[in-house]
Amino acid sequence: MKKKLQWKLALTLIVMGLCIFLVYPPKDKIKLGLDLKGGTHLVLQILTEDAINAETDQQISRFEEVFKKNNITYAEAAKEKPGRFFFRGVNPDQEGKTRDLIDQYTRDWDYSFTGDRVVFNLKQVAAQFLKDQAVNQTLETIRNRVDQFGVAEPVIQRQGSDRIVVELPGIEDPDRVKNLIKVTAVLEWKLVKAGPAADEETLLQESGGKLPEDAEIVRADPKRGYQGYYLVSRVATVTGKDLRAVRRGVDEWNNPAVHFTLNADGARRFEQVTGQNIGKQLAIILDGRLQSAPVINARISDSGIIQGRFTSEEADDLVVILKAGALPAGIKYLEERTVGPTLGSDSVRQGLISGLVAVFAVMVFMIFYYRLSGTNAIVALLLNELIIFGAMGYFRATLTLPGIAGIILGIGMAVDANVLIFERIKEELAVGKNISSSISNGFSRAFSAIFDSNLTTIISAIFLFQFGTGPIKGYAVTLICGLVANLFTAVFVSHLIFDVFIPMNAKRLSI
Amino acid sequence: MDIFKKTPNIRFLKYKWIALLITIFIILAGILNIVAGKGLKLGVDFGEGTLIRVKFKEPISVSSVRGLLSDVGLGNSIIQETGKDSREFQIRTMETKTTRQDQEIESHQIMADRVIKALQGIETEEQVAKSLLDLNNIDRNTLTSLLGQVFPDQAEEIAGRIIEYRTLHGIISDLNELKKEPASVPEEAIDYLRQKTFLGKLTVLSRETVGPQVGKDLRNKAAQAIIWSLIGMLVYIAFRFKGVEFGAAAIFTLTQDVLITLSIYSFTSREINLPIVAALLTIVGFSINDTIVIFDRIRELKRTMRKESLENIMNLSLNLNLSRTLITSGTVFLTVLSLFLFGGKVINDFAFIMLIGTVEGVYSTIFLSCPVVLFWNAYIKKKKFHK
Repeated sequence: MKKKLQWKLALTLIVMGLCIFLVYPPKDKIKLGLDLKGGTHLVLQILTEDAINAETDQQISRFEEVFKKNNITYAEAAKEKPGRFFFRGVNPDQEGKTRDLIDQYTRDWDYSFTGDRVVFNLKQVAAQFLKDQAVNQTLETIRNRVDQFGVAEPVIQRQGSDRIVVELPGIEDPDRVKNLIKVTAVLEWKLVKAGPAADEETLLQESGGKLPEDAEIVRADPKRGYQGYYLVSRVATVTGKDLRAVRRGVDEWNNPAVHFTLNADGARRFEQVTGQNIGKQLAIILDGRLQSAPVINARISDSGIIQGRFTSEEADDLVVILKAGALPAGIKYLEERTVGPTLGSDSVRQGLISGLVAVFAVMVFMIFYYRLSGTNAIVALLLNELIIFGAMGYFRATLTLPGIAGIILGIGMAVDANVLIFERIKEELAVGKNISSSISNGFSRAFSAIFDSNLTTIISAIFLFQFGTGPIKGYAVTLICGLVANLFTAVFVSHLIFDVFIPMNAKRLSI
Repeated sequence: MDIFKKTPNIRFLKYKWIALLITIFIILAGILNIVAGKGLKLGVDFGEGTLIRVKFKEPISVSSVRGLLSDVGLGNSIIQETGKDSREFQIRTMETKTTRQDQEIESHQIMADRVIKALQGIETEEQVAKSLLDLNNIDRNTLTSLLGQVFPDQAEEIAGRIIEYRTLHGIISDLNELKKEPASVPEEAIDYLRQKTFLGKLTVLSRETVGPQVGKDLRNKAAQAIIWSLIGMLVYIAFRFKGVEFGAAAIFTLTQDVLITLSIYSFTSREINLPIVAALLTIVGFSINDTIVIFDRIRELKRTMRKESLENIMNLSLNLNLSRTLITSGTVFLTVLSLFLFGGKVINDFAFIMLIGTVEGVYSTIFLSCPVVLFWNAYIKKKKFHK
């Protein structure tokens, strides 16, 4: 009997030690959720259709080229919708040759001939692959942008097929980061053909009211100090993909600006175009908006500057997005939750205060009601709390505000088991049994009720964990930890305390 | 110590009809309120509008806040004062009617921006136009570089202390506050800040916007969590007590726990959000386990007191367990009360519904769980028997 007791005592101490080890120091071991630490939680959706659209456009121009090269005549090539295009007016005599060519150049597209039309449809598998790739690339790009911006411990995860969850702790200016993440960041340098003009019609007057085939219209970004519409070449001289390096700097008037260097391939094209077009304007276009249109003064080879009335933050952000690269598809925000640092630390403080008050109130009640046996329940309660934190440290669980509520609720529930046991012991004593058998009967008879009661709550907590999001998951975790710990502390440890302190032949039990 | 000197002998089952009437009354009132009076409101979690918490520099009344919002056509927002000094408010903008669904979250965000702008008022715009920076919204880096222009050596430290002070208090009402401990910003720095910055009228404590798609997802998930945990509990009870009548009683108790709690909740101006769903499930878990303990006793006593009527056995079980029921619910009530009083605004709705639920759980365990078994035995079982 004595030996058994020693083993039990050792086990309890080991559990205690382990939990302290797991949770110490709490600052490092217990992660705080965004609702306590302050920060921004974003859910965004990737418009994967964009990637399909881009692929369709690319495929059309690719086949136009291939057909021309191989002398296959056609009247028109057109996109019906993303993932579906056709060539009209194909000479039926060339069907066999056309088929061979298509087979040679693509496996991702199904095609069929009807009369003089070849209709291309993107295969399901290929479409899925493209979408997947778009999501992964977007994830990577966003991660790069956030890293470059300098956020400590960001969480960027894929959720489901086309969503990304971004968690940014301790952000002071969420709007800035949101914009930083969202911009597509397609940067292009294009020659200016005409403009600026107040509206599109005036712009096209020179070219006879019709848009020339090799040109397109862009709007200037008024924030950058340019107004109206410009006519620019359709084909970009260089794009963001040709950048080798970008860095933050200043222009000749000491205003914030971005310096760039091109890679070899880009530099060759840049040199050629600038050399041939001295005196003309070269537009710098970001996401379809003209940022600036400097006049080419001399042949430029591999480096230059982007200027345009940037604030110093805007220039910093431009460097970040250019370094991280463009997004392969547009994104859309689905959810945004921002908690400021003040509210977060208020929540921590209030959670702590209400927790302490709760512990204190329950302690006072237990001692008042159960006298010395009440201290037994309190020891069990404190150990229960320790195990909750130990378990959270072990599972690297995140503490959220509802999680704190779960712990506080657990305080009330932890003594529930003790109450069941103590009431049972009292009943046993009332029918005249001796103390030692009352205690052991009390524990064994109360066990099934304790087990049932904990289990019913654990069942609902498990489903809350399964279907809940962030903060609610935190609640479920602390609740489950508390309830499981409860089985150990109330049943095992409390019994042990009685065994240690109440001798076999005790005459009185303070309960 | 004991609540009762000896086992009490209260004939709870005598009140079964009254209890049933009260329950029906509460639930009917609740349903009426929800259907006709628009009682139960869905919160931001389920995709309706935006929730913004702000703190003002100066005390302001709810009606002034509403006045500011009315000027931009947002007078129908729900405005609640949350702090004690008339400076903190929670503003919930109501749904917008937009034509395209996929633009909705953007429009929610635009609306949130409009709310903040309207509250900041014309003064802020004027100050910003003079290219002054808002010290109440500035971030650490910008402040550091601003101070760095004049105090290169101390900039980082002073900026850190100012931000810390602002985080603690939420907002700086007067630059002179910063002179004192613990911020202790030097006089020269304060004078410099007076030239370069202004104190914005308010600060945004938190801001939540959930778009319709995620709102729908969250609704689905909440529904799934509820359905699965109810099924889980029922399966467990059916397995533990091999009697249909106990299962029926459990379903009944469970349903009415949810209905009564929600009915009472619907008479407050509080909204349904995810934590409320979590609280409801916890309440159901508690109430079920109280009921299980009673049923456990009934089963035990049925074996030993064969001659006694079921009604008497039930009464005895309820009485034997009465102090236990009261004490355990009492300790939970104490902790939830502490959460309600000191836990802060964010968790207040959760604590509130838990308070209702804890009290309601005791009521349903004592007055309603046993009668259901009796009714079941009296009407349904008998009919079968007569066949």
